[in-house]
Amino acid sequence: MSDPALSNQPAVLTARDVRKAFQVGDRSIEILHGSHLDLFEGERLCLMGASGAGKSTFLHILGLLEEPTEGEVRIGGKNAWKLPSSERARLRNLHIGFVFQFYHLLPELTAVENVIIPAMIAHAHGDRKMNKAQDKARARDLLIKFGLEQRLDHKPGQLSGGERQRVAVARALFLDPEILIADEPTGNLDTATGEAVLELLLDEQHERKLSLLLVTHDDRLSSRCDRTLYMEDGQIQADTSVVIPH
Amino acid sequence: MYKSFLSWRYLVARRTNLIGIAGITVGVGALILILSIMTGFLEETKHTLRGSLADIVIEPSAFDRFGNDEPPKPAPYLEVVRNNEYVASATAHLTWGGILAREGTASVASSAGMSGTLGNGMPIVQLIGIDVQEELAATDLRASLLREPSDSDKTANRIAVEDPDHPFRPPSDVAQDDFLRPWVVVGERVAYENRLHRGSIINVATISFDSRGNGAQSNREYRVAATFRSGENDADSTRVYMERDALMDLLGDRLEFSQIVVRLKDYDRDKDAARKSLGEDLVAAGLLGQAGLVWEVRTWEDLRKNFLAAVKNERFLMAIMLGLVLVVAGFTVFAILSMMVTEKRRDIGTLTALGATPNGIMILFLMIGFWDALLGATIGATIGTLGAINIDAIERGLSQMIGFQIFDRNVYMFDHIPAVVDPLAVAMFVLGAFVCAILFAAIPAWRAARMHPIDALRYE
Repeated sequence: MSDPALSNQPAVLTARDVRKAFQVGDRSIEILHGSHLDLFEGERLCLMGASGAGKSTFLHILGLLEEPTEGEVRIGGKNAWKLPSSERARLRNLHIGFVFQFYHLLPELTAVENVIIPAMIAHAHGDRKMNKAQDKARARDLLIKFGLEQRLDHKPGQLSGGERQRVAVARALFLDPEILIADEPTGNLDTATGEAVLELLLDEQHERKLSLLLVTHDDRLSSRCDRTLYMEDGQIQADTSVVIPH
Repeated sequence: MYKSFLSWRYLVARRTNLIGIAGITVGVGALILILSIMTGFLEETKHTLRGSLADIVIEPSAFDRFGNDEPPKPAPYLEVVRNNEYVASATAHLTWGGILAREGTASVASSAGMSGTLGNGMPIVQLIGIDVQEELAATDLRASLLREPSDSDKTANRIAVEDPDHPFRPPSDVAQDDFLRPWVVVGERVAYENRLHRGSIINVATISFDSRGNGAQSNREYRVAATFRSGENDADSTRVYMERDALMDLLGDRLEFSQIVVRLKDYDRDKDAARKSLGEDLVAAGLLGQAGLVWEVRTWEDLRKNFLAAVKNERFLMAIMLGLVLVVAGFTVFAILSMMVTEKRRDIGTLTALGATPNGIMILFLMIGFWDALLGATIGATIGTLGAINIDAIERGLSQMIGFQIFDRNVYMFDHIPAVVDPLAVAMFVLGAFVCAILFAAIPAWRAARMHPIDALRYE
């Protein structure tokens, strides 16, 4: 029941009949029972569900971090799980930005250095020429835009939760990916800070016309998305489409 | 780029990494310092041994003379040897053993050498009869005559030679007596241990054998003209040089020579070829049996091969033992990196999510081992090399500080601690440090690469 306007857009990410089973001793326990998903260009898609419903596992499969037992995930038309691991790593690097609940910044690096790490990895893949001074300047601009002009050379341990998450958002956006995957991005922040980070995230998504896949427990977040998928017992239960003027 | 960048940051952020670097520093530094000293010792010993012997020594078998009343003459041997293309000069030696009694003792049997609690002080000496001018051309005797003892040598008792070209000439400052005793040159330690001075009278006793094996005791008195210092303890504490004629007289003219000593034009280049060629020439001339090709013609290294092999062996064993320090340092690198991989689980997951490959993660942690090796080996090589170059000053400073002589120069008769820094050896030790650090880093690095990103990201 997708919005017809959205379904006319090309899907940047599609998942078909994704199953995932874990081996516990000699038993195989299936967590995902054949889930489908289309993430369209410029779309905000919210994935909700109770704890243990399988949404994180599904998200990790979509983010190419966990291999499905069955099914396929296509990004840019490529069946990602059929590619060699180095190609999948390049897809993650160039096409997907991650924002985690616990920020996952590298503690030894400053805010600016954390932001340019994806560029360094792209350089190692041979996908991008490295110009450290230019990249640092871009990272600074981005962080200043996010209100962190006083925190550019601070390490994560010297930043507040909200500031860390802003750095994490800047890092996710640095290589201009088409897809942004956010796993409970405000889950570790107080309401006001969470609201501010969410605003920033949604503004950037709109400005850059990103496809955002947001996993959350928070109904307020889902109300800001184009569509919400509910997950229960390892399956997508409902597809709610709303039209939100961005 | 992110691998070298992050690995360096991880290295400097964790002070425990200094332990691994320090271990490699100590290992490389100790290897270079100790083995430079061992190499220096070996080189110095070689130099000393070579100086007190000759390049090649030809010793015709004593058994060939059994039953032959006429002792062999050196001239035919010298003629063949001097005609050899590799030979620069050659001379004949007559070497024999004797017991020395100094002036004032009633008889040889009651000399100081026979007494003593263990009876081990018997001054048994090696008598060497030489033809002076030929000897000076073929061996390092002149240098031994002129060499002065080091300032620290408390046992030096040098009796300086008046004329090195004629060391057996009666010294001008000693009154002649009526007995016309031949003059001898003794080792510096022989002089010290027997309290000899210029003009001292020594009595040398020996037993010589005729061609049928019948022994006859004989003794003569000699006077000390000078001392020599070869640097080889054995030579300086047992050797007595005299004219070959004088020694022939002591032996009742039963023997004219026992060795031909040879100086080659280029020993290092020609030693093997010269040894073979000389053996063949002497066998062809009927002066040596076929055995001469095997053991009657020997280089000085053949004559001292056990000693040289022992020093080389010690050096090798020392290298193995000190190499173990590097292995221990490798274990430290392993332990620290293993801890770091566990600590950095979340970073590993994050980097994977950002696009790093498992190989990239592995190289990142291997590079920490690389930095450990680079810093440790560089600092260690610098300290070891500077330490080896300045070992004398360091030893003197330390000895003064603790009030104890660490290196007793008299034991080896070296006036300095010999150290030779071999650049190839330094390069090998540095390479060894790299191999060791990277091998030990490989296991934790491999574990990091195999870490599942989701497990790593969930790790809180």
